[in-house]
Order: sequence, then structure tokens, then C-alpha cells
Amino acid sequence: MNHTSKYALASLLIWGWVGNIPAMAGSALEPRGLEIMQAVDAREDGDDLKQNMTQTLVDRNGNQRQRHMVAFRKDFGDDSKLITFFTEPANIRDTALLTFDYDDPKADDDQWLYLPALKKVRRISSSDRGDYFMGTDFTFEDMKQTPELEDYHWTLLGSEQLDGHDCWRVEGRPASEAIMRELGYSKMIQYIRKDNDFSIRSDYWDQAGRELKHLHVVKIKQVQGIWSAVKVEMRNVQSEHQTILELAAQQYNTGLKDRLFSQRTLKRGYR
Amino acid sequence: MPSLFSFIVHRAWFVLLLLLIVTAGFVSQLPKLSMETNIEEMLPKSMEAYVNKKVLEKMFSSADMVVIGIENTAADGIYNPHTLKLVDELTQWLKTRKEFRTLALSDLMSLSTIKDIRGTADGMEVERFMQHPATTPEAIAALKQRLLDNGIYMGSIVGNDGKGTLIVVRPAPEYVGHYHEIYSLIKSKLEEIEARGGSETLLMTGRPIIEGVFGIYMPQDMQHMQPLILALLALLLFLSFRNVRGVLIPLTVVILSELWMIGTMAAAGIPMYTITTMLPILILAVGIADSVHLITHIRVEAGRNESMDKKSAIISGMSGMWSPILMTTLTTAAGFLAMLTSDLLPMRYFGVFAAVGIVYAFIITICFIPAIEALLPQREKALKQLAFAGYLNTMTHIVTHHPRRIMAAFGLLMLLSAYGLSQIQVNSSLVAEFRPSDPIRQADVMLNAHFAGTNALDVMIDSGKQDGVLEPAFLQGMSQLQTVVEAEAVVGDSSSIAEFLAEMNKVMHEGKQVYRVPPDTSQLAAQYLLLYSFSGAPDDFDSFITSDYRQAHIRIQMKTDSSADAAHLIHVLESNAGTWFPDSKVSFAGTAYTTHQFSDLIITGQIQSLSLALSFIFILCLIMFKRLADAALAMLPVSMAIAVIYGVMGLLKLPLEIGTAITGAMALGIGIDFAIHYLYRYRVYEAQGLAHASIVAHTNEDTGRALMFNALVVIGGFLVLMTAHLYPQVKLGVLIAGSMAICYLASCYLFPVLLQRKEQ
Repeated sequence: MNHTSKYALASLLIWGWVGNIPAMAGSALEPRGLEIMQAVDAREDGDDLKQNMTQTLVDRNGNQRQRHMVAFRKDFGDDSKLITFFTEPANIRDTALLTFDYDDPKADDDQWLYLPALKKVRRISSSDRGDYFMGTDFTFEDMKQTPELEDYHWTLLGSEQLDGHDCWRVEGRPASEAIMRELGYSKMIQYIRKDNDFSIRSDYWDQAGRELKHLHVVKIKQVQGIWSAVKVEMRNVQSEHQTILELAAQQYNTGLKDRLFSQRTLKRGYR
Repeated sequence: MPSLFSFIVHRAWFVLLLLLIVTAGFVSQLPKLSMETNIEEMLPKSMEAYVNKKVLEKMFSSADMVVIGIENTAADGIYNPHTLKLVDELTQWLKTRKEFRTLALSDLMSLSTIKDIRGTADGMEVERFMQHPATTPEAIAALKQRLLDNGIYMGSIVGNDGKGTLIVVRPAPEYVGHYHEIYSLIKSKLEEIEARGGSETLLMTGRPIIEGVFGIYMPQDMQHMQPLILALLALLLFLSFRNVRGVLIPLTVVILSELWMIGTMAAAGIPMYTITTMLPILILAVGIADSVHLITHIRVEAGRNESMDKKSAIISGMSGMWSPILMTTLTTAAGFLAMLTSDLLPMRYFGVFAAVGIVYAFIITICFIPAIEALLPQREKALKQLAFAGYLNTMTHIVTHHPRRIMAAFGLLMLLSAYGLSQIQVNSSLVAEFRPSDPIRQADVMLNAHFAGTNALDVMIDSGKQDGVLEPAFLQGMSQLQTVVEAEAVVGDSSSIAEFLAEMNKVMHEGKQVYRVPPDTSQLAAQYLLLYSFSGAPDDFDSFITSDYRQAHIRIQMKTDSSADAAHLIHVLESNAGTWFPDSKVSFAGTAYTTHQFSDLIITGQIQSLSLALSFIFILCLIMFKRLADAALAMLPVSMAIAVIYGVMGLLKLPLEIGTAITGAMALGIGIDFAIHYLYRYRVYEAQGLAHASIVAHTNEDTGRALMFNALVVIGGFLVLMTAHLYPQVKLGVLIAGSMAICYLASCYLFPVLLQRKEQ
């Protein structure tokens, strides 16, 4: 199993990813599925990032639960480290999460959670890629900027207008039965903007071949020249459960200190 | 009326054509007929158990789960590579089937999906017990040890003795109401696996499976009982009339009645329920009586007045018979219509359509029989060939020579019944509706022996404010509740967010047992839930706690589905709720609560419908006989029969439940016919100025013969229900057959004795 970027917060932050790659839309040759996905994967996302996040969970009865967080990410070579502080609601204020996300597929990611009510830091064991993340409708796999490209067979289905943008429609099917089981998906279709290689919609099908979830990037904007997600919705069409992520106050490349990403800071809080 | 009969006799072809057209109309409706096996749909929509069940489904995404059991009684039980691989195979298969929802852990629980949460030196670890089916002895030993250390799934997914394991899966929402498809699907999968060999026994149960089996058994029972009862009717008719005509004419009447009745049901869009599957049998057995009485009387009349021509004989026979058969039709219909007082939909439909069918049988009888008799060539002298002559003479002899013995025998019967009545119990159980030898019932026995129990009682507690559930006092209340109910013998296990938070608390304190208590601050509880969410699915929380943390759900697993056990448990919970949750609203739901309330409804419905039926029928008898004493006398056999039914149920420890609950009103409606026919004919001959002994002899020869036939048909017809798959039908069949015997005996043996005494 490849653990690259397995940890979600990693990717939560990566929603503020980038698009400095030259657009392929104008080239004479139509790129194939895999090439498009490689371009998405290769997008610039800055060396570090600070942003505010609001996570809204909506159940099928319309009940909402919101969490507010401040999140930091910094690249360390091919690895990256992330730290997230919960600010609201009051009963989880100062709870904080630290993740070391290793590029080496063989290395399990490290993850710690600080619980202020216990005044203790606890290590969280690794999860499967197909597991849901933090009670949201995202699995760890979904949180990534792009799936592990070699896990899927990619097929370019064609072009389509979506939200007023010209998009590639790329289908991914798990390369093996084992991968399908691990991810819980039998198929996904991504809609990738031709102008900036940003995937703005993904539909997922479960193992029985039924439509399962819709991921919709509702709004993106350029911050310091880097394309960043502003609002992302994930809707499970079977359970009717929905997760909305809102991202704000992005600041790229502010030179975050290495020591920010430590268990000491986890306990002390970021202020 | 005679002018109507004259019209029918002289316009016979027209009447037959009309009957044919009406029948064709009803038959065209038959394809619309549907089935309903969902128990909740039978409940009145305002009933608390129904309302709460809907709330439970909405708030806690609760559902009735399909349970697949894998039993291996070998020395190492399920802990062997073959069984573990089988569990994994079934689990993966379920994930790929559209009939199931397998989104979250709570949707599909098996050894291949459940996760271990355990403390480590520097934190906690969450991972599946079985990432891949364990194959080596070392891996299997390790798996067993982890399951024992964790403990949460012992008794729920793995049997405490290690001899069995369960796969629990949620049906896809769109398959609610199509559970027979799920049943067939799993059945064929399990058969396919068993055909490969192996030491495992595979079973299935759970509410969807039970309802699915009902959906399979119901049409099967209808199909196999129908020819049986028709054959029985044909045999008895032949014994009675000794010719083909005497067999075919009454059979045509009842088959047309049945088609009309089911056609009406289909046209009205009313589905078949378990209880209403008995309607066709009922109409065949009860509807035949009118035609037998009519044909017998026409023949007896023709035999006595040989000079009369064919058509006049028919009209004369009709004139002497229409009044008692209309009467018995009305009383029987009244008895069934009294079921309208029931709160249960299927019972109401049963009453209505039984009444409709009986009225159809009457209409068809008085139109079809004179018409067809008028068209067919005249019979040769028939009287001598009529059946039961020897028996009827003996009967006349007994009732005129041994009145005291008859009185003594009935007196003794009443004493026994009175004792039995004092022993009667109320209890409803869905599983008990299956024969003891049925695989469903055996699966239930096995699962309740190895595991925590298959019947759920759900407790919902509303704290009244956001995050209220996380308050330490509230969590402690839930823990206390669980401790108390788990001490009850019928409770196998209970689960709640409090138990889960206590486990988390323990794990977060180096696994020390003293910390296996709910967190002492609401902040800590909230942070544990957040921590857990890193490995759980969004739905994992939904089944225990609403997303605003305001309401909580405790699921109690019971080892029996008896309503008496549920009633006891609910009483315990209600009397303590004020102490555990002083400021919260506590309500109940789940199968156990449904059967509990169901049971209450059955009793009140029973008493109401019985008393209503008694008054209806008494008033009708009063109108017909115009004498209070006769009306009271007519009620005697059915009253005795009802006393005997419930007396026997008490003596045999058969509880009152849905199947047996309708016996009283049914026996009343059908059984009254014997008394009315006998009494009517007795009074007719009495008016001719005969002495008691000859009145009895005349009555026995005419009505007594038809009643004998009638008794044999009804008793035989209801005994056919003994071949049903479903137990309530078996019990109902036997009880009604018994009560019909009592009604017959009381009418034909006790009546002459009482009537003689009155005269003296």
C-alpha cells in the first residue's frame, strides 16, 4: 500500500493547490487520461501555507455541526508536515492535530492528537485509504490532491462544460480487485479544468456499481498566483450526508518555522 | 322473495349469463393483488411504537438488519482458516450486492470489518481485527486473543464460546418491502457455499429475513391449501349427495365467491397480509354451507311432495330456506364485521372481506342454484340416497333417550373450560409464528444461545439541549441503565455512546480497568468523539447520538422476542427513568416495543370485537326469532364454544397472540349458523303441531343432515390450515375446528334436550 499523502489534513490544506503548469488546452494533440492526471498531480502548491478552515457536517435530517480550525502546512523536501488547531466549538477548543506525511510509500505516516481535557498528546494509528476522515464524507483517499495515479486505469472520456469552464472528463477504474476493496470505489470520474488543471468535480461509484458520492469544488480563487479552493462540498448520495469545507485567509510562502510542527507547539497552542 | 325465485327459475339463462359477466369483471382485477409482510405497516399509524420507530429510523438511522450466522462446532470453533476465509468471502460479496447498504461499519459488521481500538504505550491504535483472512495458526491465535482482550464484539459478532460468528448487514433502503428477494438471494448464496462442503453450518435471521420468509410462505400456503380443501369438499359433497351434480354445483358457488371476494380486494388495492391469506380457505369452508342447506332442503321437499313439477319444487324449496340462510349469512357477516373494532389493519380487512365473501356466497347461492337446477334435467327420487341416514337416526335416539347424560357431559366441559380460562396468558412473538422445525426458528434458537440476542429494545433519550448527552450526569445515567438491564436474564447485551466513551476513557488511560467509566467532563467526551472520528465513518456516531449531541439511543439486545419479557423490561426502565434522566424525555422503540404494544392491542381488540359480535348477533337473532328465550338459546352453543377455545388455550398454555386472537370472533360468526338452522327448523315443525320426538326426528332428517355436512366441511376445512408453514394459521385452524365441533354438538344434541325441558 502506498501511503504517500495518506493523511488527510495534508490534503485538506492542499485544496489550496496551484496551477502554474502551462495549460494543455491549446495543444494540438489531445492529452490522454493519465497525462491529464499527471498534470493535476504536478501542480504547484507553495512551500508553506496557513489558512482558516470551517468544516460543516450536514446529516440527512439537515442537522449541522460545525468545526473551525486554523491549519498550517510546510514542505520538507518531498515530505510535508501539517498542524491544525481547533478553535470552535468550545468543547474541543485547543485540540490540535500534528501530521508527518512521508513521500516514501513504505513509511506509515505519523499522526498525533493533543486533547486539552486530558492534557495529553496521543498518537493515532494509521488508517486505511478507504476509511472516512474525521466524521466527514471524505475518505483519506479523497482528501488527496490526486489519487495514486498507478492505482487506476485512466481513460479520457471527452470534454464537457462544467460551471462555465471547459473540462476534461477522465474516468479512473481501480487497477485490481484488491485496490477496489481497499478504496471502496469501483469507478470515479473527474472533471478537470483545461485552463488550470484544477479538478472541480469527482463522482464516485461504490463496489456494487451504485453512485456513491459527489465531490464538488464550488469556488476557487487565485492567492499569490496560486489557485486555491475556497469552498468544497462532498455529498454522499446514498446516506444523504454532506460535508462542506470552507477555506479562507490563505497565506502562501510566509516562511513558517520548523519548530511550529512539533509536539510542544501541539500542546501549547499556536497563539 | 318467491317472485324473485320464480324469475330466476324462468329466466335461468339470463341469470347465469349475468353471473358470468360479473365473475369476469372480478377476475380481471386479480392481477392487481399485492402482498404486505412489513409488520410496521400493520400497526395503526398513530401508535406510539410506530411513531417512535419512524423517529428512531430518522434520528439514529436505525434499520432492521439481516443476520447471517456461521456456526462451527469443531474443537477450535470458528478459529480455523476455512471458516475465517468464508467470513471474508461473504463480507466481500455483500459489499458488491446492490441489495445491501454497506457504507459504514455499522452497515456491515463482520470479522472482516470490525475494528480494534486499543491503547499502546504512546497512544491508541485503531485497525481491523482481520485485514486479510488469517491463515497461520499463529495469526489465528493472535486474532482470538485480540477479540477477547477487546471484548466489545464478544457476544455480538463472535459467540462467547467461539463456536459461531455473525455477519450483520443493512438492507438497501429501496429494498424495504421486497425482503423476499433478499431472503432468496442469501438463501441461494448460502446453499452454494454449503454445496462446496466444510464443517460450517450457515443460518440466517433478522427481521428482513423473517418478513421475507413470510412473503415466500404466504403464496405457497395459499397455493397448496387450496387444492386440499377443494378435494375435501368434493369428497364430502359426493358422500352427501352421491352424484356429480351435487359435487359440482356447490363447488362452483364457493369458487365464484372466492373469485369475487379476492377480485374485490384487488380492485380496492388492499394487499394480502399473513392473516388474510386464510380468507380463501374460510370462504370455501363457510360459503359451502348455504348451497348444501339449499340443495338438501330442495331435495327433501321434492321427496316429500312427489306430485310437484320441477320448477315449483325448486321455488317451494327456495321459499322455505332463503330466510334461515339469509339469517346465518347476516350473523356470520356481523361476527366478522365486529373485527372492525381492532386497531390492526389486517384484522380489520380480514373482518370486512370475510363479511363481503359471505354475502357474495349468499347472493351466488340463491341465484346460481335455482337457475342451474331449473336447467338441468329432473333428478330421480333422491331422498333414499341421502347420506348419514343411520347416523341421524342414532342421533335422534340419543337425544330423546339420554337427556341427563348429555347435560352432564356439557356441564363437565364447561367446568374444565372455566379452569382453563383462569390460566390464559398473553404473549406475542414473531419467531413463535414459525413451526418449531422451521429453519428460521432454529436459527433464532442457535443465535440466541451463542450470542447476545436477536430482538432489540431501543431506548431514546432527549436531553433537551445541544451537547446535553455529553454531560457527565447524563452519561452516568446511561451507564446505570445498562448495568441494570444487563442484569436481567433475558438481556444479552446493550450498547450506547456512554459505553463507547467509557471504553475510550480506559484506552486513553493505559487500559486501566478503573477508567472504564464515562468521561467526567463534557469537554473530554467531545474530544474523545473527535479522536474516534479519525478512524470511524460519519455514520458510526449516528446510530448512538444525534449530530447535535442532544439525543442519545441505547440499544438493548434481548434473547427472546416474547412480548411478556418485553413488558417486564419496559416496566423496569420506566420506573427508573426519572432517577437516571431527571430532566430528559425517555421513549421506546424497536421490535420488542412493537410486539409489546401489538400484544396490548390484540387483547383490547379481542374483548371489543367479541362483545360487539355477541351483541350484533344477539340482536339479529332477536329480530329473527322474535322471542327473547330463543335468541338467548341460539347464543348458547357459540358462547360455550368460545369458553372452550379459550379454556383449551389456557390448559395447553397457548398464549393469546395475533393468530389466536381472532378465533373468538370468527368462531362466533361461523358457529352461530348451527344454532340458527336447528332452531329455525325445529320451530317450523313445531308449528305443524308435531310432538317433541317427531319434531326432533324431522329436524334431524332435514337440517340435521345439512348440519352434519356443514360441520364436517368447516372442521375439515380449518384442519387443512394445519398444513400451513406459519404457526398462527395452524393454531387458528385447530382451534376453530374444535370450536365448530362444540357448536355442532351443542346445537344438535344439547338443544333438543333443553327444548324438551322447557316444554315440560
